Amino acid sequence: MSTLQERRILRDLTAKLPSHDDAEAPVRHSARWLNIAALNAIPIVATFAMVWLATISLVVINYFVPFNLVALIYMLPVVVAATTWGIGAGVVAAFAGAVAADFFFYPPLYSLWLQNPQDIVDLLLYLLVALVTSNLAARLKNEAVALQRREKEIGELHAFSQGLATCLNSRDLIFAVQDYLSNTLRYRAVLIATAPADRAAFENTAVPEEIRREAVKLIAAGARRASTVLDPRRHRAWLVRVIAPEILGYGAIAVELGEEAGERSAAVAQRVESLIEEAMVTLNHLKVKEAIEQATINYRTEILRDALIGGVSHELRTPLASILGSCSVLNRLPVVADDHQAQALVEAINDQAGQLDNEIRDLLDATRISAKGVQPQLTWTDPTDIVSGALKQKERRLSAHWVTLDVARDIPLVHVDPVLVEQALGQLLENAAKYSPSGSEIRISSRCENGHVVFSVRDQGNGLTADEKGQLGRQSFRGSRQVAGSGGSGLGLWIASTFIAANGGSLHAESPGPNLGTTMSLQLPVTAAEMPEPADALND
Amino acid sequence: MTKVLVIDDEAQIRRFLRAGFELHGFTIIEAEDAAGGLRAATMDAVDLIILDLNLPDLDGSEVLERIRSWSNVPIIVLSIQSDEHEKVRLLRLGADDYVVKPFGISELLARSDAALRRQLRSTNRDPVVKAGPLAIDLVSRAVTLNGKRIQLTRKEYALLHGLATHVGLVVTHQQLIKEIWGGHASNIQYLRILVRKLRQKIERDATQPQLIVSESGVGYRLNQNESGAAPGGRGVPSNSYSA
Repeated sequence: MSTLQERRILRDLTAKLPSHDDAEAPVRHSARWLNIAALNAIPIVATFAMVWLATISLVVINYFVPFNLVALIYMLPVVVAATTWGIGAGVVAAFAGAVAADFFFYPPLYSLWLQNPQDIVDLLLYLLVALVTSNLAARLKNEAVALQRREKEIGELHAFSQGLATCLNSRDLIFAVQDYLSNTLRYRAVLIATAPADRAAFENTAVPEEIRREAVKLIAAGARRASTVLDPRRHRAWLVRVIAPEILGYGAIAVELGEEAGERSAAVAQRVESLIEEAMVTLNHLKVKEAIEQATINYRTEILRDALIGGVSHELRTPLASILGSCSVLNRLPVVADDHQAQALVEAINDQAGQLDNEIRDLLDATRISAKGVQPQLTWTDPTDIVSGALKQKERRLSAHWVTLDVARDIPLVHVDPVLVEQALGQLLENAAKYSPSGSEIRISSRCENGHVVFSVRDQGNGLTADEKGQLGRQSFRGSRQVAGSGGSGLGLWIASTFIAANGGSLHAESPGPNLGTTMSLQLPVTAAEMPEPADALND
Repeated sequence: MTKVLVIDDEAQIRRFLRAGFELHGFTIIEAEDAAGGLRAATMDAVDLIILDLNLPDLDGSEVLERIRSWSNVPIIVLSIQSDEHEKVRLLRLGADDYVVKPFGISELLARSDAALRRQLRSTNRDPVVKAGPLAIDLVSRAVTLNGKRIQLTRKEYALLHGLATHVGLVVTHQQLIKEIWGGHASNIQYLRILVRKLRQKIERDATQPQLIVSESGVGYRLNQNESGAAPGGRGVPSNSYSA
C-alpha cells in the first residue's frame, strides 16, 4: 500500500469523518427523531437482554459447578455489545452486569448491599476490566468499519484509474472524473468549464445558468471555500467549489444537493466539502494530467503507426516499384540485351531492389500483426494451388536452384486463408534458397498425413543445430551462422508461423545436423467439407 | 497503332511504362491525375487504359466506374495493396485485370495483350480461343488438346468456356460459379473439385498446373501460353515477373 493510502487510513481512524451511511440517507424531518429513538433503543434493550441471559446462565452453571465464574460470564455481554453497537452499549452492559452480579450472586443475595470487602474489590475490578474491554472492542469495531470503507474506496479508485487509462481525449476524461465524483459523493457532480467553448460538449449534464454564472464568478474571484447556491426556478440547492489546479480548463465542481435547505443542507454541504477535498487529493495523486497526456500519446502512437504503415507502403515501395519496373524495361532494350556486363548489372539492381521490397513487406506484415493480429479469410482451397502460388511468388529467388515437386494427387481441400498460407510456404522456399548453395536441390512436397495436409520444403543447405531449432519461432530469429551468410531481418519465419497459427496449423523444422540440410514443414488440419454428394453439381 | 492511356501520379512509373510500351510499338498518352485521365479517355480514342488506384484528386476505383459508365475500353488496374477483397471489387466494377506493384513490364504487357485480344475477338467474332496446346471453339464447343479432340462434361466445358472467353485474364470465383451453376446456389468446394477434374483432362500434370492457374483469394486465369511455376529448374517463363 502506498504511503499516501496509509496516511489516509490513519487519518480516518483518528479523525471522525462523516460516514457514507449518514450522507446517503436523507431523511424526512417528521420521521427523523422517531428513527433515531428506535435506533438507540434497540441496542440498549438488546444489551439488557444479554445481561439477563448471562444471569440465567450463571444460575444454571452455579447449580452444577461450584466455581465462581460470575465476572467472566458478565464480560461476554460487554464484549458483544461494544463490538456490535459501540462503546455506549459496552458501558451499559458493564454497569448492568455489575448490578446484576451484586444483586443475584454476592451476599447478601437479592440485595444491592455487599457483605465482604473482598467482594467490593472483585466487583470494582470487574467494572474496570469491563470498561477497558468495551473501549478496546469498540475501537476494534471502528477500525474494522474504517478499513472496510477504505477498501471499498480503494476499489472505486482502482476502477476510476482504470477508467482514466482508457480515456483517449479530454471529453472522456471529464466524464470519468464526473462519474467518479458522483459515485463517491452520492450526489450528481458536474465539472464547470471556465471557457464558454467547452460548455457545448456537455449539454446533457447541463447545470442551470444561474449556478453556472455563480460558479464562473467564484472562479474569477479565486474563492477557496465552497458556496451553496440556490437554483431559484427549480428550488434546488447546488454546492459550488472552485478547484485548483483546474482540470483541463474546468475550474469548478457543482454538486446538486437537491431540494433540501437550511441546517440539513449546511451539514451535507460540509460533508461534500470534505469529500471534494479528498477527491481533489485523489485526482492529484492519480496524476490526471499525466493520464490524459499518456492517453494522448497512446492515441498518437496508434495514428503514427497507421501513418507509418501507409507511408512506408507508398513512399518506399513506390520508388522500388519504379526501379524494378525500369529494370524490367532495361533488360529488354537491345543495347542492354546484347551487352552481358550491362545485363548482369541490371540483374543485380533488380535482385537487390526485389530483396529490399521483400524486407519492407516483412516489416509491414510484422507491424500489422503486432498492431491488429491476423484475421484470416477462410475459404476452401486446393493445396495444389497453394504450392503453385508459392512457387510463382518465389520464382526468381529459386531460379538458381534445382526445384523438384512431389504433390500427392488426391489431397483433400483445406479450409484456410490461401493468401496467408501461400505467403508462409513462400517464406519456407525463400529460406531454403537463402541457406542452401546454388544448384542444390530444393524438394517441395505435399501430402495428407494423420488428418493433416503437410507441405514440406527440404533443402541441402546449412541445416540447424539443436539450439537453433529451439529458437526458430522467435520474432527475429537468425542463428549466428545465418547472420554471417546472408542479409535480412529474420522476421520471415516468425511471420510465417504467425500466419500458419492463424489458420489453425503449425510449423516444424527438422535437420539431421549442421550442414546436412533442413526440412521445414507446414501442417494444416483437414476439416470435413460440408458438402452434399457432389454428383448432382459436378457430374453433368 | 495501339494507343495506351497511362493514368498514374508517379512520374517515374509513367516513364518506365512509356519506355516499355513504346519498345513494343504502342503509343502512349500520359495523365498524372484523375481529371486529366478522364479528359484523355473521353477526347482521345484510346485502346487500353492503365489506371493507378492512388490518384491525388479522385479514388482510382471512382475513375474506373466513371469510365465504365460509357465505355468498354479494356482497363488494367495498378495496385500497391494486396487486399484480395479489393481486387475482386475492382474486377466487379469493370476492371479487365489488375497488376500488383512491383511488377515487371512483361507481366503488364501480357495482361494488356490479353485484354486487347479479348476486345478484338468481340469485334471480329473469331470463335476459336487458343491457350498453349489447348484450342476451344466457342461456337461448335469443340475442345482439342495438341490437335486431338477431348471429351468434357457439360460443367467442365462451362468452366473452360468461362475462362476461355477471358483467356489470359483473371476470372473471379463468383463469376465462374455463376456461369457454371447459373442462378443455383453453389459453393466454392464444387468449383475447386471441378477445376481439379478439368485439370486432369487438360494439364500435362494436374499437380503442377500450367494452364489453369489460381489467383489466391480472387479467381482463376487460363494462361495463353503454357507456363507458370517452373519446377525442375526449367527457367523463367515468358510472361512471368522477370527483368
